[in-house]
Amino acid sequence: MPHDASNTSVSHSNASSLNVTVLVSVGRHPLTARTRRADQDARAVEMALMLTGASVSLLHAGQQDSDHEEAIRGYLGMGIDSVGLIEQSPQADVVPALAKALRESTPQLVLTGTRAETGEASGVTPYLLAEALGWPIITGLAAVEKIEQGTAVVLQALPRGKRRRLRIRLPAIATVDSSAPPARQSAFGPAKRGELAHQQAPSEIDEDLATWHIQPARKRPKRLKIVKSSSARDRFKAAAAKAGGGGGQTLNDVTPEQGAEAIFKLLKEEGVLR
Amino acid sequence: MLDALLPILLFSALLLAAIGAVRRVRLWRQGRPSRVPVFKGLMQVPRRYLVDLHHVVERDKYISHTHVATAGGFVLAALLAIIVHGFGLDSAILAWVLLAATTSMLVGSILVAKRRSPPPSRLSKGPWMRLPKSLMAFSVGMFVVTLPTAGILPEGVFQSGVGWFTALALAAVIMWGLGEMFFGMTWGGPMKHAFAGALHLAFHRRPERFSKRNGGEHRSTGLKPLALNDDHAKLGVEIPADFTWNQLLGFDACVQCGRCEAVCPAFAAGQPLNPKKLIQDMVVGMAGGSDANYAGSPYPGKPVGEHDGSPHGPIVGRDGGALVDAETLWSCTTCRACVEECPMMIEHVDAIVDMRRFLTLEHGNTPNKGAEVLDNLIATDNPGGFDPDSRLHWAADLNLPLMADKREADVLLWLGDGVFDMRNQRTLRAFISVLRAAGVDFAVLGNEERDSGDVARRLGDEATFQTLARRNINTLSQYRFARIVTCDPHSFHVLKNEYADLGTADMPARYDVFHHSTYLNQLLEDDKLMLKAWKGGSVTYHDPCYLGRYNGEYEAPRSVLKALGIEIKEMARSGYRSRCCGGGGGAPITDIPGKQRIPDMRMEDVRETGADLVAVGCPQCTAMLEGVVEPRADIKDIAELVADALIIKTPDEKAAQSKPASAAPRTVEEVTP
Amino acid sequence: MSELVRRDPRKEWIARNRLHPQHLEVLAELGGGAVASEWMGPNGVIRRNPHAAGFIGPNGIRRVDRSGVQQAAQSPGRSVESKDARRPVAIDTPAFMVAVVPDMTGGRLSSHDRDLLGLARQLADADVTQPGAVLAIVFGEHKEIAFGEAGIDRLLHLEGARFWGYLPELSVATLQGVDRETAPRYWLLPDSSIGGELGRRLAARLGERPAAQVWQVEAETKSATGWRCTARGAAGRNDITRALPRIVMALAECADPVSETRHAAEPIALSHGLPDMLRRIEDMGEVAVDPASVSLAEAEFILSAGNGVKDWDSYHHAAEVLGATKGASRVAVDDGFMPRDRQVGATGTWVSARVYMAVGISGAIQHLQGIQSCDKVVAINLDEGCDMVKRADLSVIGDASQVLAALVARMEQYRAEQQENRDAA
Repeated sequence: MPHDASNTSVSHSNASSLNVTVLVSVGRHPLTARTRRADQDARAVEMALMLTGASVSLLHAGQQDSDHEEAIRGYLGMGIDSVGLIEQSPQADVVPALAKALRESTPQLVLTGTRAETGEASGVTPYLLAEALGWPIITGLAAVEKIEQGTAVVLQALPRGKRRRLRIRLPAIATVDSSAPPARQSAFGPAKRGELAHQQAPSEIDEDLATWHIQPARKRPKRLKIVKSSSARDRFKAAAAKAGGGGGQTLNDVTPEQGAEAIFKLLKEEGVLR
Repeated sequence: MLDALLPILLFSALLLAAIGAVRRVRLWRQGRPSRVPVFKGLMQVPRRYLVDLHHVVERDKYISHTHVATAGGFVLAALLAIIVHGFGLDSAILAWVLLAATTSMLVGSILVAKRRSPPPSRLSKGPWMRLPKSLMAFSVGMFVVTLPTAGILPEGVFQSGVGWFTALALAAVIMWGLGEMFFGMTWGGPMKHAFAGALHLAFHRRPERFSKRNGGEHRSTGLKPLALNDDHAKLGVEIPADFTWNQLLGFDACVQCGRCEAVCPAFAAGQPLNPKKLIQDMVVGMAGGSDANYAGSPYPGKPVGEHDGSPHGPIVGRDGGALVDAETLWSCTTCRACVEECPMMIEHVDAIVDMRRFLTLEHGNTPNKGAEVLDNLIATDNPGGFDPDSRLHWAADLNLPLMADKREADVLLWLGDGVFDMRNQRTLRAFISVLRAAGVDFAVLGNEERDSGDVARRLGDEATFQTLARRNINTLSQYRFARIVTCDPHSFHVLKNEYADLGTADMPARYDVFHHSTYLNQLLEDDKLMLKAWKGGSVTYHDPCYLGRYNGEYEAPRSVLKALGIEIKEMARSGYRSRCCGGGGGAPITDIPGKQRIPDMRMEDVRETGADLVAVGCPQCTAMLEGVVEPRADIKDIAELVADALIIKTPDEKAAQSKPASAAPRTVEEVTP
Repeated sequence: MSELVRRDPRKEWIARNRLHPQHLEVLAELGGGAVASEWMGPNGVIRRNPHAAGFIGPNGIRRVDRSGVQQAAQSPGRSVESKDARRPVAIDTPAFMVAVVPDMTGGRLSSHDRDLLGLARQLADADVTQPGAVLAIVFGEHKEIAFGEAGIDRLLHLEGARFWGYLPELSVATLQGVDRETAPRYWLLPDSSIGGELGRRLAARLGERPAAQVWQVEAETKSATGWRCTARGAAGRNDITRALPRIVMALAECADPVSETRHAAEPIALSHGLPDMLRRIEDMGEVAVDPASVSLAEAEFILSAGNGVKDWDSYHHAAEVLGATKGASRVAVDDGFMPRDRQVGATGTWVSARVYMAVGISGAIQHLQGIQSCDKVVAINLDEGCDMVKRADLSVIGDASQVLAALVARMEQYRAEQQENRDAA
């Protein structure tokens, strides 16, 4: 199952303390496409660092070059001593290598971002790992409340800031998205000094990738408001209506009630009222 | 008896002072190494003291005279006392001179005592309240004891009867005086400032700051680069011993006069910073102990006695509670008012940035929006995180000449990050219209320009600064230009004073950089511009720190305003004493809360002049001052004032160059997105 | 009841004629109880309510329409609109199945679901000779009544207590069962937080490589499946064009919703029972979260307060009732009424709310820059000439606390109506 170079990490420790592995990937800045630590993965690292008493290890599988190394060092700058690096060819599907590494290191909890910032970025990797390892997986982890007797009680982020409490059996995989707390600053000194622990693993080439056509994203056409009406007059009115924008509407000399009604109407149209 | 006692007293005091000196020097030498020319430096002390230091002290005439009388009298008296009383040289002439010296010293110490009754809040109390009395003890004791030598009192007057008791009393008084003046000088008394201060002048970290006999610029305000190549070196200052030894020496020279405190904008705004206390805390850290004995104003909102440190203990604890709280360091606007005022020439800003470097580069602890801004600088080359390819979007209609097309130009116009700020775009438009009216051959870097690195550097992120600077140097090296002109004093300072350190043999980074006010002034002096007479109300001028104190440019903006026909209503604090707008050093980013806001205080200064308009020359100042709630004076950049007053040239000239027709001041509509 | 609406030309004529003695009577009748603008007072004097006359025009100016068109238009012209013009379609023996798992947020088909069903229809109806059927799988309780109109031929509704709450493992096992039984040619899921998760779980379970973030599907003869899709990759910076795989997670507006046909939405059931399985993820219920704690940058509805707000209690109350995230101008923060992390603007947080409501904010340029990317801006201000009003899509000139109070009242009324509807449903 091919998914190109995105995530990874591994550690091993004894069963007494909580062993957390964070799979980290190389991110790209949305505007400039410069490599950086991926935002969601960095949030996952932050989440792991906030777990008291956890031993945190980072794992990355992917291509090795200086650009990528610098991005991975961004995670070291958060106060991590070393990152495990599984070397893979650029066209490799990293899932098998990651699954193998996780199977060997047996962490109780694996954290990672919801989706990568490079490559296919379909966000399927964590699910494939969960399937391969036979572990449960949850999405949108917002906080870990407690970990006891092989289960974790966590909060899952729902849209609009809502939260759901879940109990999951460990070992498990959890993904974090941008509703998780923001990552701490990456400091230059520790990033420079941290260790990259290289591990070799055979690369399984992602064959499908070659058949795909990849190009910079086109702007999506904005959907026009379709008015289906049997009355020609209505259709004409809809077509001739001024598009949104333009001068705003100003309500002067209205009673507070009328003003409120106008605002209420707008709020309802925009669908921001729950 | 006194004849026998005096040499003993004198020489034992000197011996103790020598032992103390060795101990003190060892305290300083805990710091990192720093190479200084020892002999040459020592030779420079008299000139540095008499010219440079005195120049600063003289801003307060009272204390300047006091210090001349006291210090001059003391140095002379001490030397002569050793000769006359220590070695027993019985010379009436020397004795007379000694009498004169002690008299001078006495007069000085009376003036010191007067200044301290009651002491202004900026002065430290505690042992410093004892100093005038000690000075009097020394001078009076020495005076009386010298009277027989000078032949005013008969020889042997202290050797019998009442004289015995007088002699005993005298000996006690002299002992007190000697204790304070000699022993205290090296064992940490108030007189320490004389010993450490002299050596500090000799081994100052910025010898360029001192004047030379042959004149020339003597200013050194650029931060020192940090070596980043060494993989194992700690970056920045974590513990007091991480400062260089001559920095520690500099801290020890502090005389606690509190002039820095009086001018510090953060202190006045109630933010937890007091430059004097900070320097004293560094001394506490260097010697080990707690700040409980500090007798001056504390950091606002932080009682004295809760912090302690040691030479090898952290200055800022990860969870607070060490020698200094992080927010103290992040309150600084790097306005350099403290450095400008410090009669001991202590470098507060260097020390603060050194400590910030550690917090940012090693702890990753830049507060509030700091981390975000630094990330943006790394990823997008500007602090706001805007698309670096949209740098020229604001000027789509201006058809700016690009360096990439022209390859060379007389003036390289450095636009700065203000291109992303709608307010600053107005200033830039105005300045460009003026350049066009004057027919200046200029070009911009456009999307090739990056943030100058100023903010990153002041926030302690030396790594990002150096990356940005090197890339900019690289870009600049591809083009030929006679000078760089910029409307941003921060870019101006960094390009002019801080890039040079990062240049290489193939790419020297020494540029002729002009602030736009200086350049406008030149254009006016060359009669390149024709201006209408000023018709507006009264105007005051706000000196940007990075133009004024950092680069000594006080005159050019004023002569531009004068050329406009404006008579400036100066604020009480202007020129080198100008109060910061609060926008420097990343202070708006780290945003440490205080009791009031610095720009509000500055606009209060403006209000006191009654001016309707403040002329400024800095995008930061514009933003900060315009952020003050109305009613307040209007804020306009000098470039805008000049552009508003431009007269379009005569028709035939106009025909010659049709372009500058558009140079007529255009009112830029605020475009709402 | 008959859908036919009978018009009475005479009454409409009277309604247009303001001088007709029966004008008001008829108007009230046609207008369905709209406020009368004139009535006979107790003393036999004609009373006139000037506020009830006319309507607010598009530029916020009250227009009084003397022509009578307005009154006539008030008469509910319901008839013509609601007449069902959709063509009924029934696919009895489908050549294949296209399975769709809609999100059903709030118990109804969301617009994203409808777009997806539109896409499903495209796939199913491509070959008119051998039409496929669209199978929708719905978990839990729902309130939707128009499955057929959305283009669903078959509906598998899995209800009962075992489908309450968050059950990703059970859901995916069920879908796996559906896959075994009906072997759909395509699985379509919305790439939202719900559907996206389920789709990825299903893909991993079935061992299919899915396409995620799909925004366009086009016929392509060269491709193995006859279709190709374009999906966003690399966090939205790339477009990946590839053959349409079996499992597709599509973005909103991937296709137009069905509008011209009505389908059978015939209920089906699984012949095999549902799997019994070990539950490794246990749903312990939703946790109440304060909307005020949502970070400003992510908030979609911000109620922002500035210098013009004098009654802070009513502001906070309004924010709570509206469920809005609180923001503030720099001045409000400096004056200590709001915490620093709530500051909006170039020097505070850059926000990208769908609706940004500025109360008593005059609109300093730094502030306006910070709200550049907001969709709709509503201003409540006393000063008509301020920059915020110029920027705003809707401005109400008036006292902030009064308008807010009225808005709160309106909102509470709306809540009550909603509650009634819910109870009725």
